[in-house]
Parts: sequence; structure tokens; C-alpha cells
Amino acid sequence: MMTLCPCGSIHDYEVCCGPIIAGTPAPTVEALVRSRYTAFVKCALDHVERTHAPEVRDDFNRADAERVTQQYEWRGLEIRRVTETGDTAKVEFVVRFRREQQELSTISVSGFRRDHGQWLYVNTESSQIAPQRVTKIGRNDPCSCGSGKKAKKCCGVALEVK
Amino acid sequence: MSATRHFQCTICGQCCYGLLPLTCKDAFANAARFPLGFVWTALRQGSKDYAMTATLGTTLTLAHRKELAVMITPTAYLPKSFPCPALGDDNRCSIHLNKPSRCRTMPFYPYRDERYQAELLKPRLGWACDTSTAAPVVFKDHQIVLRDDFDQERQALLEQAPVLRRYADYMFKYSPWLVGALTQASSQTKTRSVVTSLSSFLTATRNADAGRLARLQLPVLNDYATRTGGDAQLAEFHQNYRNWFQEMTYLSQRLDASPTCADASVRSD
Repeated sequence: MMTLCPCGSIHDYEVCCGPIIAGTPAPTVEALVRSRYTAFVKCALDHVERTHAPEVRDDFNRADAERVTQQYEWRGLEIRRVTETGDTAKVEFVVRFRREQQELSTISVSGFRRDHGQWLYVNTESSQIAPQRVTKIGRNDPCSCGSGKKAKKCCGVALEVK
Repeated sequence: MSATRHFQCTICGQCCYGLLPLTCKDAFANAARFPLGFVWTALRQGSKDYAMTATLGTTLTLAHRKELAVMITPTAYLPKSFPCPALGDDNRCSIHLNKPSRCRTMPFYPYRDERYQAELLKPRLGWACDTSTAAPVVFKDHQIVLRDDFDQERQALLEQAPVLRRYADYMFKYSPWLVGALTQASSQTKTRSVVTSLSSFLTATRNADAGRLARLQLPVLNDYATRTGGDAQLAEFHQNYRNWFQEMTYLSQRLDASPTCADASVRSD
């Protein structure tokens, strides 16, 4: 049975982040970022710890991360930009989650390095947390799917998270 | 304000409530007694406690060449309405002989420069300190008369400053939200503070005793989480106790220094 990968790739978990979390080196830096996000969703933090660069591995507050994996509801990952320069890379990404009845997102820019073919997390250049704008769609508003029909006659009225 | 100030404690117990700042040493020595957190307070340049705060804590450079002095205090993290767990029914301290440095030095406060100490002798609302001329002289010519406790606490604060600075560097690096929170807190007229976890301090300082400290904290945090549940005014305390309990649960199992205790420490909740 196929399980969609939590990273949002629309691939089966078993061919997306699954193998990387199990120990196969991530083929690209983007794949590493995706797998580290998925590891939070799956409470598989050994993977996150293992893919910290050695000089920052002891900085990883695993106790805090373990709590976060249990407490947050993960809503999705969006990779905004990947800049690769040889064996180093910068990735800008957005993580959406729910915490204490609040929909939140963090926008981060993190640095990565490739050591012996393995992509590793090195640092976070910036990270900002912000509440997400939640807009309520009126019953008679145009449907957000773009059909042109009224929302009540199409996909229905639900909270849309931007 | 006269140059000579009098003070006598009347054992009213009123100063034994709420947050209690501790030295690192006192905090860890009392890990089985107090729920421990780290309280951050930021001061703007021009504040009279700026220099001492920068010496005992750290500084944070902001945009436009502005700077904040930040004090980071290991703290017995208790709501204002909660008495110290060591306060006895007779309003006396049940650990008097071993009480924290902070309690010995009261009402003086070595986080501030000595010349400002007279202001701290004024009893706060509801306190029954005797400051009449019948009480002994405790402050004279801008100096504390019996100064051993004050000097010892100040010395401990000076000695631990490098460790707290290391912790601050770690937090500013990995928790950028803290910079924003401190900036905001410093702009309020009433001094506000930000609270961080023991787990972050233990990680930042590579504390080899983390497992043992975590096991001591677990029952304490569990107890305070229970006692603060269902009270909207204590919601922030309650949430922090619960969060820290989860973190300490992990640490208590992972960093096990003494294998003989391993079985006893495994909890299920």
C-alpha cells in the first residue's frame, strides 16, 4: 500500500524520505531537508541528529526536539530556494505546524555541507516564526479551487490556510 | 534618604513566594526541590543597572548600534502565589542551614551595584520588614555593614558569568526568536522577562550530569504541573512545567551516568 510522503513530494514514503531516514545518503541537499522534516513528523530524530555536521551535533537539543515532535501537528514543508555551490548549499524553506491551538509557520535559511558524499546540516542563518494568515471563505465567495462557482456549490466552506 | 539604614527580618514569610533567582550551583543543588527554568531580562542602555547586568550576564547588539544588557538567571520557577516549597508552616525556612545564597543575602541583591542597595531595603507591599531605628543598622555610607553573604553571592555570580555567556551565545544562535522577545521585553515600561528550559542550558553547556538532574526534576515538574492545572492565570507556568517534564523524561532515559539506576529511572506516562 502506498503512503504519501509527509514531505509533500507526492511520492510514496518508501521511495521518498523513507530510505534516507533509514540510512541511505540523501542524493541531493533538497532531499536531505525533506527527510529531516519527515523525521520530525515520524518521530525519527536519530536521523536529524545523525545529519548534523559533527561540529554542531552536540548542540542539538534532542530533548526539546522530542517534545516538539510529540506536541506539534505538522502541516507541511515548502522548499523555497536551493543554492548549491560545490559542496556547500543554502536552502530556504517554510515549515507549517499547529501548536497550542495556533497555526504557525517558520521561514528559515539553513546552511549545509557535503562530507564524503553525505549532505549535513551546518547552521541556521535566519529563522522567523509567524502566525499564518487564516482567511475564512464566505459561502457565496468564488471557490478557492478556481472553478468560478460559489464555494458552497463547489468545494465547500473550510478554513483556508495561506 | 538618610545615609544610615536599618533592617530586621520579622519572619513574615512574604518574600518566600514566586520566582527565586539562584546561582547555577544553588539551582543544581536544589534540583530535587525546585522546578528549574532560566529567566532572561533585558535592559536598555542608560538604565542604572546596565553595567552590572552586562558584567554578570551578557550584551546583545541590535540594529542601529543599540545594545541590550541581558541577565540570565537560573530560577526556582514558581508562580507569584506559590510559596517556596521549603517554607515551613511556622514561616521559617526548613532548610535554613543550607538555604540558597539568594535567600541568605536578602534583602540585598548583588545583581545590582552596591551603591543602589539602600533602595532594596524598602519593604514591598504586604511585607512586614522592620526598618525602624529600633532595627540594626545594615547599610551605612553607601556600604553594606555585614557583607559576607552579599560578597559570596556576588562572587558566585561573577564566577558563573562565562558559563551563562556561553549559554546566551548558544541560544542567540539556535533560537533567534529569543532576540526578538528580549528586544520586545526591554521596550516595555514594566520589566518583562522571557523563560527558557533547563534542557537547553544542559545541552549548551555539555553538562555531564544531565541525566541525574533530569531524574531529580521529573517528580518536581510533575507535581507543579498538577498543582497549576485548570487555572487560566497559571496557564503559562502549567504549559512550561508540562513541556519541561517531557524534555526531562527524554534526558533522564538517554543520558544515564550510573547504569545501576537505569531500571528505576524508566518511567511510563
